[in-house]
Amino acid sequence: MTTTKDVTMPAGATPPASPRIKPPKSNRRLRLGERTAPYLLILPALVAILVLLGWPTLQLIGISLRKLDLRELVSGEMVWVGFENFSEILADSEFWEITVRTLVFTASVVLLTLLLALLMAVLMRHLNPVVRVIVQVALILAWATPVVATTTVFQWIFDQQYGILNKTLAKLGFESFIGHSWFSTGPSTLTVIGILVIWQAVPFVAFTLYAGLLGVPKEQYEAAGIDGANAWQAFWAVSWPAIRPILTMVTFLSVLWDFKLFAQVWAIRQGGPDGASTTLPVYMYLKGLAGNHFGLAATAALLMMLVLILLTARYVQLLVRTKEADLS
Amino acid sequence: MRKSLSQRIGLGTLGVVVALLFVFPTYWMFTSSLKTPGQVLSPDYDLVPLSVTFENFVSALTKPGFTTYLANSLIVTLGAVLCSLVAGVLAAVPLSRMRFRGRKGFLLLVLVAQLAPFEALLIPMYLLMRDAGLLNQLPSLLLVYFAATLPFTCWMLYGFVNGIPYDLEEAAMIDGCSRAGAFRRVTLPLLAPGLVTTSVFSFITAWNEFLFAFVFMRDQNKQTLPVWLSSFRTAFSVDWGGIMAASVIYAVPALVFFIIVQRKLVSNLTAGAVKG
Amino acid sequence: MKRWLKMAAGAAAITLATAGCAGSGSGDSTNSSAAASNGSLTVWLMTGTAPEALTNSLHKEFEDAHPGVKVKYEIQQWNGIQQKLTTALASDNPPDVIELGNTQTPAFANQGVLADLTSSVNDFNGAQWLQGLKASGEFDGKTYGVPFYAANREVIYRKDMFEQAGITATPKTRAEWLDAITKLKAKFGSDPEFQALYHPGQNWYELLSYIWDEGGDIAQANGKSFKSSLDTPQAKAGLEFYKQLTEASGTKAPKDADEATPQQAGIYGAGKVAMMIGVPGEVDTAAKTDPKIKEKSGAFAIPGKAADKSAPVFLGGSNLVIPANSKNAAAAKDYVKLFSTPKYQTELAKAGYVPGTSTDVSALDANPLTKVMAEASKNGRAVPTSPKWGDVESGQNPIKDMLTAYLTGTKTLDQATADANAALDKLIGG
Repeated sequence: MTTTKDVTMPAGATPPASPRIKPPKSNRRLRLGERTAPYLLILPALVAILVLLGWPTLQLIGISLRKLDLRELVSGEMVWVGFENFSEILADSEFWEITVRTLVFTASVVLLTLLLALLMAVLMRHLNPVVRVIVQVALILAWATPVVATTTVFQWIFDQQYGILNKTLAKLGFESFIGHSWFSTGPSTLTVIGILVIWQAVPFVAFTLYAGLLGVPKEQYEAAGIDGANAWQAFWAVSWPAIRPILTMVTFLSVLWDFKLFAQVWAIRQGGPDGASTTLPVYMYLKGLAGNHFGLAATAALLMMLVLILLTARYVQLLVRTKEADLS
Repeated sequence: MRKSLSQRIGLGTLGVVVALLFVFPTYWMFTSSLKTPGQVLSPDYDLVPLSVTFENFVSALTKPGFTTYLANSLIVTLGAVLCSLVAGVLAAVPLSRMRFRGRKGFLLLVLVAQLAPFEALLIPMYLLMRDAGLLNQLPSLLLVYFAATLPFTCWMLYGFVNGIPYDLEEAAMIDGCSRAGAFRRVTLPLLAPGLVTTSVFSFITAWNEFLFAFVFMRDQNKQTLPVWLSSFRTAFSVDWGGIMAASVIYAVPALVFFIIVQRKLVSNLTAGAVKG
Repeated sequence: MKRWLKMAAGAAAITLATAGCAGSGSGDSTNSSAAASNGSLTVWLMTGTAPEALTNSLHKEFEDAHPGVKVKYEIQQWNGIQQKLTTALASDNPPDVIELGNTQTPAFANQGVLADLTSSVNDFNGAQWLQGLKASGEFDGKTYGVPFYAANREVIYRKDMFEQAGITATPKTRAEWLDAITKLKAKFGSDPEFQALYHPGQNWYELLSYIWDEGGDIAQANGKSFKSSLDTPQAKAGLEFYKQLTEASGTKAPKDADEATPQQAGIYGAGKVAMMIGVPGEVDTAAKTDPKIKEKSGAFAIPGKAADKSAPVFLGGSNLVIPANSKNAAAAKDYVKLFSTPKYQTELAKAGYVPGTSTDVSALDANPLTKVMAEASKNGRAVPTSPKWGDVESGQNPIKDMLTAYLTGTKTLDQATADANAALDKLIGG
């Protein structure tokens, strides 16, 4: 039997003041098995994350204080250079310009992705099963196609001379687009890259939001309908609270992923023209990995993580602090 | 909310238009795979291919080693997805339902673990695998992909388990189930949408990964499909038709995976009388 | 809660203290895979160069001469090869013989990861080494790389189109070249798809020819490092000629991409292009679109300013190197020695490459396209042998940016060269 407010509320939401029947507080002494149960259950994940991710990430801190080029990597010698790597990058005026550009790019891509995905999720909810599956298959195909193919196809579609986009626009009467180069300026290039990223990112967010919407029982919508709400108001009153926590979560994830995006930006114009579409991950590649300067690469990576922490600190704080009251 | 017929038609049309727009680049990839080298970039208006050839598919499939690469990719990807799901579900339960010391710390760890740029971790992870003697062995890739998808999986499943009211399990326990049994019988089926999304995400992430696979695996017979895909490019020429054909072949398993998993989802939802 | 925090802090401190010590334990030979390598010689060659027949017979000969040693031959693809090489060299059992691009060799030599082959130069037929490649294998007065093969660019043209346009002899000077373009445009210009010369904006290897022909260079040695010379009058003159060609030919090629994006061979194969500047192998690619294009195509060397000498050409190619920590150095040297014998070098020539350790290019004369290439290679040069040159090619290439900015008119000649000069200095200077 469900309770009155049967709403899907994943991570991050402070539970509304609803009469959720709380499980009985543990006023009985927990047996040993019950006390160790949580630790045993999280053990596999904990160990995996600590060893496979945590340790290498910590290594980055140390490596950023070293000079680690091919020579040092092969010979194993440790050359400590203190904060030289940091000062080299932070003193580079390009670094700051690129950071701002990355932030703007990330913000735009994330916002558009969320908006589009939300629309798709709502649409999917209202479609009949046949059309819905058609849409879902289209989404999955976009998601599953390998990046090497998608970047190539996008370059062809936007090609100056032979791209289908320019050809179609010309046919529709926009003569100015014949031979128009979409990659002649940084912002234009980033726009094309942005479209590519959004195209491949929307499916996941759409599916997640859709899964969240599925959790809202139809009765709630019917109740709202009976109360005289139109579709728009029904959305705000019923759907929005249900998906808001999910939305916050995917926003967080999208910010992380889009900020760290490398493959697409590199494949399309390698950060050109003239460095105008270079983002932080590309910068990290150019400064560090391309020339086998792993110390610098680690420094750039740490600086990127720092920016991300600053961006998401508030959200992380909220997340970790809630839900304590709800637990058994 | 009953929809009128015109509303339903309108929505249906909108859905189809949206689907067409979304599928266009993939459609372009597919038609490019059917073109000969000269037609890939042609001045003609070729929204629909002017002629069709299957030679690209044939040459892609008959490239030596394709089945080996496919097998390797499947092993590594499915293995990582499975490990991720299991570890993720196991971790999501206490995170969401139990109170224990270190809970906040673990949550924080899961979040922070997703921050590092993947390419930067190449060298530290390489050294880790080297010292563990796992280089050039498929398990090392499996572990890398497992690590790459685990924090996200934990996080998503934590969120989804949160959304399933505990009272349902309680009710089952009152009816005589053990805690684990209640979870298995009641919550797990309801978790289906979350499991679908996370497993598809993990699959696609692992399936498409190139850099680590290329660097960690030395022997040709241990390579994965992304490496195969990348081999269509030589120093002097790029076999675009081949790449597109290979990409089509490449995307198929992901699509199949989704269809299989999605069927289970649909069946679980229609049996969602539990929720009502 | 407090105690928990203290424990966590302690653990973190210990971890941080030992973190960053990655890579200190390399060369650990207790690894079982290392012990097995004595019975096999690992060879890494890049895809598409040595034909299978060549490697098969060479490996057979090698194994016959070295009983107990098997050749483990692994063909590598170019995409991602840098990361693969880096990690392979840092592993416990690096490959024993590697084909390394000539623009990469100085970088690797500078890092001390290649074996010093100076004493074995004579074993490897040192007297017949291709001059242009030789410099790329040397570093700090020692030899680390043995020239393997090279390929250089030439002008590939449609013989039938030249005939129809009334061009009787292939151009030998810049003036004649421009004249030929005019004639071609006069004859075929009415077709909107026609391009007298397919001339993409970022073919910087081609630009090198013009700069060198003017007597300049893109960078000069400056003690131990290099100083960019992109803003010299000679470089500017070369750049101007590049623009002249672009404008005269009325090419539709993009100004912000090189000859691979889109692939010029495919466009040439479509039949509406009279000339393109590329390597002979591209005609084979064009043949996939039009099988008859081979017989219709000829080649001439990139014209110089004067009639007696064609423009110097960039030698693209590879060297053979042996990692310093290879476990089979002696066998590796024997392998390289075998590969540098005339027998196999001629096989390489037959495959269409200019051999690196043999001056006998007669095998290339069979094909008119490669014959021209071989002739031009005598005037071949390499990029500055700066250890940092890898950064230029694998990252954002200031020369490419300079070309695009100048050709599109975004920057004036002086501005473009000045900016590129500064950028190049940032990359290779110091």
